[in-house]
Amino acid sequence: MTRGGRSSRFWSRDRRGVPALESRGDAAIRMFHVSKAYGAGSFALRDVSLEFRKGEFVFLTGPSGAGKTTLLKLLFSAEQPSEGQIVVLGRNIARLGRTAVPLLRRRIGVVFQDFKLLPRRTVEENVALSLDVVGTPRRAVRQKVFAILKQLGLQHRRYHHPLSLSGGEQQRIAIARALVNEPEILLADEPTGNLDPDLTLDIMDLIASAATRGTTVIVATHELSLVSRYGKRAVRLDGGGVVEDSLPPGAPA
Amino acid sequence: MSRSLVQLGYFTRTALRGLRSSPITSAIAVITIGVSLVLVGAFMLLLGNMEGLLDRFGDDLYVTAYLDDALAAEDQRALVELVTTVEGVEHVRMVSKEEALERFRAGVGRGAALLEGLDENPLPASLEITLAPARRTSDGLRIVVESLDGLPGVADLASGQDWVEGYLRAVALIRGVGIGLGVILALATLLIVANTIRLAVLARDDEIEILALVGASRAFVAVPFLLEGLVQGAAGGAAALVLLLGIFHLVLPGFEFGLEFLLGGVAPRFFSGAEAAALVGGGASLGLFGSVAALSGGWRA
Repeated sequence: MTRGGRSSRFWSRDRRGVPALESRGDAAIRMFHVSKAYGAGSFALRDVSLEFRKGEFVFLTGPSGAGKTTLLKLLFSAEQPSEGQIVVLGRNIARLGRTAVPLLRRRIGVVFQDFKLLPRRTVEENVALSLDVVGTPRRAVRQKVFAILKQLGLQHRRYHHPLSLSGGEQQRIAIARALVNEPEILLADEPTGNLDPDLTLDIMDLIASAATRGTTVIVATHELSLVSRYGKRAVRLDGGGVVEDSLPPGAPA
Repeated sequence: MSRSLVQLGYFTRTALRGLRSSPITSAIAVITIGVSLVLVGAFMLLLGNMEGLLDRFGDDLYVTAYLDDALAAEDQRALVELVTTVEGVEHVRMVSKEEALERFRAGVGRGAALLEGLDENPLPASLEITLAPARRTSDGLRIVVESLDGLPGVADLASGQDWVEGYLRAVALIRGVGIGLGVILALATLLIVANTIRLAVLARDDEIEILALVGASRAFVAVPFLLEGLVQGAAGGAAALVLLLGIFHLVLPGFEFGLEFLLGGVAPRFFSGAEAAALVGGGASLGLFGSVAALSGGWRA
């Protein structure tokens, strides 16, 4: 594995000069020469090969239009790659049938900038959605939802409706919904983009804590201050391609 | 608790929440289904009663063969024996000229005085021919009449065949109109329900997107909408049933003459339990198929 210092590439080349993935057995996500085009010649991603290990916390950075959101969408099968292969939790995304996509998504939590909460459902009902779809009994649903809300300091808000809460509280509910099923992967797309700076670290700490419990966490953000603060691996995209894949100095390889 | 029961609980809560969230659209769908089923149900009631009347008339069907006055008594007895052997004939009874006059006299009551001035009995002798049970239908009656027609000594034949055939034509006409109307109303109702559910799908676009995000299967997303259609249809069917029951007991008795004309004085009957259940079930099916049509277009996920 050649990964290590700042700007080191995650990829090596084999003897024929073809990029080859040096994959570890504990990979949660592997992307092989993935491209995504919208219409002829309009590439959102171009020949991206990446690997994310289980329990790894990774930032995806880059300017608007770099391809961060597209990459995340490919990982939870909201989009299909135009070229290349993606293996998520051992499943090849391109070969997933219609019935297999929901099964994969139950193992992935997703958090968005705009929270995506249902305004007419209570906090408890919003968080419970992840458990309802897998047929969790109601009593267990209530217990699990209460536990995660308590963990996030929102148990007193469980019968409130999202619109009566602050932006930070709404994002914490979205995180609770993403984490209540104990997902193996947590994807966050600009999770602090709509929040005041003083709430940003609060939310990021919650997301980072998931990685300490073994969840692979990928956070797309354009806030470089967060990347330097947390000292985690950062993959920088630009124009749909990976331009940098780095660890901060001194970080374990 | 099994997973299916847990999910059924979720589906029911979600469907009822969906109905509550758009009460006006839901009410319009229920009323549309109800009105359609009232019309279809009214035709079903009318047909059921008319067909029931035909069944009851079957027992009273018989043929009267009027005899030539010139036929000798011996020939009359021979004719009775001959007619008894005709296929489909169960029993033959001879009515003499005298008996026919007595019956007429008894039938007209005080008007019998008119008969006093007659020099001779103008009424012919006749044979009253009862049909075998299997032949007590319009076709059975026609076959027996054709067999008797032209027998020596038979001057004329009378039966309810023309009336029965006319009544059958009326029943067939009403059935045809009822089926045609039913098909048109069913299609219109399907479109209305499909539209209502489609609007519900569009209104809950964000909910569907989030459900898909957290790993809901297509069935998990679709079932609450199907239940909504089913409930709307069943509610429309139940409303139609209640309305028809009200019309039957409160309004119908005011139209005695029309009933007498259509049903010949036989008391009309309402739907049996199974027929009532079929009406509500028909509404539920319309609602369900409307929802299926609405969801067949897919949704954003």
